[in-house]
Amino acid sequence: MSPLLAIDDLSVTFARSGLLSRLINPFPLPSFNVIDGVTLSLMPGETLGLVGESGSGKTTLARTILGLVRAAAGRIVFEGREVQTPADFRAMRRRSAMMFQDPVASLSPRLRIGTLLTEPQIIQGLPMPDRRAAAKALLALVGLPASFVDRFPHELSGGQARRVGVARALAMKPHLLLADEPTAGLDVSVQGDVLNLIGELKRELGFAAMIVTHNLAMIRHVSDRLAIMYLGRLVETGPTQDVFSAPMHPYTATLIQSEPIPDPRRRSQNPAVTGEIPSVFRRPSGCEFHTRCPIARDRCKTEAPAYRPMGADRMVRCHFPLETGGQEREAFSRASANQRGN
Amino acid sequence: MSGSLTASDLSVRYETPHGSVHALRHVDIEAHPGEVIGIVGESGCGKSTLVTALANLLPANARIDGSISYNGVDLAKLDAHHQRLLRGDEIALVSQDPMTAFNPVLTIGDQLVDFQHHRKDLGRAQKRARIAAMLGRVGIADAERRMDCYPHELSGGMRQRVAIAAALLTDSGLLIADEPTTALDVTMEAQIIHLLRELRREYNGIIIVVSHHLGVIAELCDRVYVMYAGEVVEGGEVDAIFHDARHPYTQALLACDPARFHERLDRLPTIPGSLPNLTQPPSGCVYAPRCDRAFAPCGSVAPPQVKLSASHMARCHAVAP
Repeated sequence: MSPLLAIDDLSVTFARSGLLSRLINPFPLPSFNVIDGVTLSLMPGETLGLVGESGSGKTTLARTILGLVRAAAGRIVFEGREVQTPADFRAMRRRSAMMFQDPVASLSPRLRIGTLLTEPQIIQGLPMPDRRAAAKALLALVGLPASFVDRFPHELSGGQARRVGVARALAMKPHLLLADEPTAGLDVSVQGDVLNLIGELKRELGFAAMIVTHNLAMIRHVSDRLAIMYLGRLVETGPTQDVFSAPMHPYTATLIQSEPIPDPRRRSQNPAVTGEIPSVFRRPSGCEFHTRCPIARDRCKTEAPAYRPMGADRMVRCHFPLETGGQEREAFSRASANQRGN
Repeated sequence: MSGSLTASDLSVRYETPHGSVHALRHVDIEAHPGEVIGIVGESGCGKSTLVTALANLLPANARIDGSISYNGVDLAKLDAHHQRLLRGDEIALVSQDPMTAFNPVLTIGDQLVDFQHHRKDLGRAQKRARIAAMLGRVGIADAERRMDCYPHELSGGMRQRVAIAAALLTDSGLLIADEPTTALDVTMEAQIIHLLRELRREYNGIIIVVSHHLGVIAELCDRVYVMYAGEVVEGGEVDAIFHDARHPYTQALLACDPARFHERLDRLPTIPGSLPNLTQPPSGCVYAPRCDRAFAPCGSVAPPQVKLSASHMARCHAVAP
């Protein structure tokens, strides 16, 4: 089976300065790779979790895939065809959809829900004999009452706005859904609702999904595969269960260990990792994670590790991956235990 | 100075053009020096109203019934001037987004000097020395240089550390941390949890942690109050709440947290239904419409507070002692 979406060596560059300083300064200013050499693929019907902390570039990656941010280098192949020109991206967006992070902000406050739901078809110039009926059908799909067609976005709760976001994303029957933090700001009792809905519709309509999130507890239940980002690069990819049970990159292990456990009998030890994510403006030398890595060695400071396969369907960017039974894993647990003693 | 905090039969309603919103109803909580108290609940449960009432910062349209007593003084009956003296001196608040808690046009050093206004015995140099020491204690390297930074020059995690330092510099007896880690990434959240845990060993006052995040509450607190739709539905030792929850809402809330399950779930558990309208709170149990154990009296009679042990209580008809 060929992948639905294949990204090859994708990079996105942001110039550091604005237009004014570019006009004043005759010399070209340094630019910064916000996304650097990302290679990733998504099979039809698959759910991929794209995980990282703020500033890791996960949202930028999702936006780049849909052409909302321009890539500086690399290839995006969607359904077997390379996407390059704005026209290609427009054609791709007809078969893919994005759920933006803030559900209320992504709905125009002056349009009624019915209008908002049918906007995608109008923009794409699809025939629609009965706009109201089409909107009601979409509302029914996501379990909202038909009377919502006449409501305004501000009359909805956070969970309801999220459902409208799902309905609007699915209006075009996309093959690919990109969901940026679909549960941010939702209560735990409601977040399951939205994710179950996406899961059900996925089974019914058969689209593939990429879920961008920092919520590990949630993504472990809804994704088939995980991709972990740090400073605009992928540091680890693999099947979700494998990554959680045996993380290979020390950063992944750190993320999993940092998650607070809702059980007072299993209070976490002190964090193995200290400090914070560096800025892409000042990328550390060698392996980017060496400044925070509990098992970093001299080699990590100077030599950037390659992104290499580790067994079936797993890729890791680390000189000393935590292999099961390996000495690196022991060293990592020891480093965490030392921190605990302090 | 530190003393105990008690809220008894505390109710708060907001007068709005659409009628009164009964945001808090008949809340009883207590906290003693040296304790870390957790207040947990989802949006709309009244946890923010409760902490705002404790800090005496309710808006003008709020009406309070019942009493909040701190160190033997009824806060609700103090005039504005004395309330203000108490805040800052005795009550410190660490808010969710520390960016908005600081003045953007003053350096943090200057602001932390102002936080110590009640220390009339100290000069500016002494105050700055205290700040440097305190910033070091909350894990900020290079404290002297950081004091000359403006809030926007610090990262979110660092600002939260400064906010905690500011609260500690006031020598208050009551520290309220409102969603202290919600705006932070998980690796920073772990570090702030660790910091708060370290600090409590030396802190003699009361710490109240408000959060919707069950993990944060479990990591930090000694005793927990669970709130739903403006009421405390269950309260007890943290272990009792997480391992012997008796109120159906607490049980449902715990069951919803995906962090508790390691095996992949096909369907994530949810709580069907929605919050009751608090302009007309139901006469019976507030949770009855969503409760799978509701029976005859739940719809009409307000449930009693059932004492399950010396420290564990639940407000529910279905809970037998």
